[in-house]
Amino acid sequence: MSAICEVPGGNIAVAETPMLRWVLAYADDALILGHRLSEWCSRAPSMEEDMALANLGLDLLGQARFLYSHAATLENAAQPALERSEDDYAYRRDAPQFRNALLVEQPNGDFAATMVRHMLYASFADLYWRASLAVSDPAIAAFAARSEKEIAYHERHAADWVIRLGDGTAESRRRAQSALDGLLAFADELFETEADQLPLMAAGAIIDPARLRDAYRHRIEQICARATLSLAWPRWHQSGGRQGRHGEHLGHLLAELQFLPRAYPGASW
Amino acid sequence: MVNETTAQETAWAIASALPDPEIPALTIAELGILRSVELMEGVITVSITPTYSGCPATEMIKGDIETALRDAGFSAVAVRLIHSPAWTTDTLSAATLEKLRAEGIAPPHRGQAPHCPLCGSSAVEQIAAFGSTPCKSLWRCITCREPFDHFKCH
Amino acid sequence: MYAQALDQTDTRPAQGDDPARLAAFQARIDAEQKIEPNHWMPEAYRRTLIRQIAQHAHSEIIGMQPEGNWITRAPSLRRKVALLAKVQDECGHGLYLYAAAETLGVSRAALVDQLLAGTAKYSSIFNYPTLSWADIGAIGWLVDGAAIMNQIPLCRCSYGPYARAMIRVCKEESFHQRQGYEIICSLAGGTPEQRAMAQDALNRWWWPCLMMFGPPDTESQHSDQSTRWKIKRFSNDELRQTFIDATVPQAHRLGLTLPDPDLHLDQATGHWRYGAIDWAEFRAVLRGEGPCNRDRLARRNAAHAEGEWVREAASAYAAKQNQRKAA
Repeated sequence: MSAICEVPGGNIAVAETPMLRWVLAYADDALILGHRLSEWCSRAPSMEEDMALANLGLDLLGQARFLYSHAATLENAAQPALERSEDDYAYRRDAPQFRNALLVEQPNGDFAATMVRHMLYASFADLYWRASLAVSDPAIAAFAARSEKEIAYHERHAADWVIRLGDGTAESRRRAQSALDGLLAFADELFETEADQLPLMAAGAIIDPARLRDAYRHRIEQICARATLSLAWPRWHQSGGRQGRHGEHLGHLLAELQFLPRAYPGASW
Repeated sequence: MVNETTAQETAWAIASALPDPEIPALTIAELGILRSVELMEGVITVSITPTYSGCPATEMIKGDIETALRDAGFSAVAVRLIHSPAWTTDTLSAATLEKLRAEGIAPPHRGQAPHCPLCGSSAVEQIAAFGSTPCKSLWRCITCREPFDHFKCH
Repeated sequence: MYAQALDQTDTRPAQGDDPARLAAFQARIDAEQKIEPNHWMPEAYRRTLIRQIAQHAHSEIIGMQPEGNWITRAPSLRRKVALLAKVQDECGHGLYLYAAAETLGVSRAALVDQLLAGTAKYSSIFNYPTLSWADIGAIGWLVDGAAIMNQIPLCRCSYGPYARAMIRVCKEESFHQRQGYEIICSLAGGTPEQRAMAQDALNRWWWPCLMMFGPPDTESQHSDQSTRWKIKRFSNDELRQTFIDATVPQAHRLGLTLPDPDLHLDQATGHWRYGAIDWAEFRAVLRGEGPCNRDRLARRNAAHAEGEWVREAASAYAAKQNQRKAA
C-alpha cells in the first residue's frame, strides 16, 4: 500500500484504512487535548486545580497511548516491515495527517475557555466510550470501559466549574458566556459520520457518533441551565479536522510537541 | 527448568514479590497489577494491567519484571499489558487495605469517606481531589490535624 | 523534592516558656518520641519548623516550573506522561507540606503570600534554567538524588507530621530519581549529540546541586539547637559527602565526566575529595541574582493574579449555594 517512500526520521505515510482512521481520530483528540491541558502546568488558578488539570491531561495522554499502540498493531499486522510504534503517530505526522476534531486544538484561552472546551469534549467522550462498551473487539471494549470511568470524572469536573463560573460573579459569568458562545460551533464536528466507516458501524466494530447527538445536547443544555448561561446552538458548525483540514493553531502545537524527534531524527530517548 | 509447572510457579513467585514503584510497601500482586504468569511455547509470559490510563509506573513495572526474571535465569520473557477486565480497587484484599493504612494512606472503601489512618477519627475534610499521585486524594484529620492521602475507589 | 539546608534555627528568646515544660519537651525528644500538633512546644521550635516546612513546600511549588518547561516538548509519549505525572507529584507534595505546616497553627494563605512577596526562601536550585531535555534527566538524577539525601534524615525528625510526610515523600522521590537516571542513561548511551547533551547538563547542574546541602559546617549557623531538637540529624558537609560518594561512580559508569578538576578518590577513607564550591554564587542566587529568580516569582505571581477571578467566582458560588440551602 504505502507507495510513498518514508525518509528515516521524517513523516510517516499511514496507509489509512477506515478502521485506522477511526483509531487515529480518537487518539489524536486525546493527545491534542491532553497536550493543551499540560500547557497549564504551574499556571492554574489554584494549586488544587494545577493538580486536577495535570490529572485530566494524564488520563487523556494515557488513552492516546493505548489507541496509538492499537493503530501500530493494525498497521504492523498489514505490513510488519513498518515496525510502527505509538510515537510514530504522535511525532512523525504533520498537521494535515492529524484527524482530531477542531475543538480540541483550540487554544486554552482563560480558565473559562478551558473548562467550557473540556465540558464540550468530555460530555461527548463519556457518551461515546459508554456506547463503545458494546463494540465487537474486546480490546477496544475494555479500553472504552476504562476510558468511560475516567472521562465521567472529567465531565463532572468541567461541568462543576462551568456551573460555578456561570453562576459565580459578574466577571466569571461574562467569561464563561463568551467562551461558550465562541466554542459551541465546534461541538457538532464530534458527531460527524464518516461515510467509509459505515460498514464498520453496521458490523458493530465501532459506534456511529451521530446517534449520540441528541443525548449530548440534552446534557449540555442541563449544565448550561444550572450555570444560568444562555445557550443557542448555532445553525452551522466548524468542520474539517477529521479530514486533516485544521486551523492555524495546530501547527504551532505540533512544532512544540514534535521538536526533539524532528531536530534529532533517529535518536531514541 | 525442571518442568513447566515449576517454571511457572517460580516465575510467579519472583514477579509477585516485586514492589510497586510508587507504593513500595505493596507488591504488584497485592495491588492487582500482576494478572498472570504462563509458560507459552517456551516463553514466560507475564500479564499485567495498568491501574489507570496515564499511570507512569507501568513501564517501570514491566522493566522490573523483565530484569528480575532474567536475573533468575529465565532467558525468554515477555511482559504484556492486558486491559480487560479493567483494574479496580474492589479486588484489593483486607490485608492489602490494612497495609495501606499502616503506610499512612487511608484505604479505599466504596461509598465511604476515609478515616484518619493515624488516629482513626472519622472527622476528616478533603483538601484536594488529587494527591501527589492521581490514584490518591489529599485529606486532613480534624481530630489530630494529620494531613493524609486517601487511595481513591476506582 | 527539594529540602535545602539553608534555614537558620529560630533562637529568639522564648518568653514565658516554663522551664519544667521545656525540660519535659526536651526529654520527650531525647527519648526519640514524636512531638505531635496537640502537644506543647516552645515557640522557637514551632517557628523553626514552620519556616523549614514552608520553605520545603515553596520549593516543591516553584520546582514545578523548570521541569514543567519541558512537558510540552518531551521527546516521547512515555516521557511526556512520566514528566507530567512527576510535576503533579511535586504540586501534591507542596500541598501536603503546606498542610503539615498548618498543623503548627499557620495558614497556607499566609505562607503563600510570603512566597509571592519574595520574602520566603525556596531551594536555590530552581533558579537555574532547564535548557535541554537532558536537564530533565539531570534534575531527576542529581537534584532529586540530593533532595533524598537531605530528606532521609528528616524521616526521623522529632515533629511527627513532618517526619511522616517525609517518609512518604522519599518513597515517591526515589521513583522520580529512577526515572531521571533512566533518561540520562538513554542519552549517555545514545547518539554523539545526545551524549553531549547529557554531559552539558551534568556540567551545569553539578555545582548548584552540591550547594543544595547548604553552607559548609564552618559557616552554618545555629545548627546546634536544631540538632538538639532532632530536626537536623547530619551536618551539611556530611550529607554533601554522602551524595558525592554515591553519585561520582554513577557518572563514571555512564562515561560522563564531572566538572571538577580537583575531584579524586581518597584511598585512605574511600571518600571522593572535591574542589572549592563557589559560595559567592550560592549567596548571590539566594539574594535573588540567579538566572531565573525573577521569572520563577513572576510566573507564580501571574498565576495567582490571573486566577483571582476564578477563586472569587468559586467563593461567590459557594456563598450562593449556602444561602439557597438556608432559604
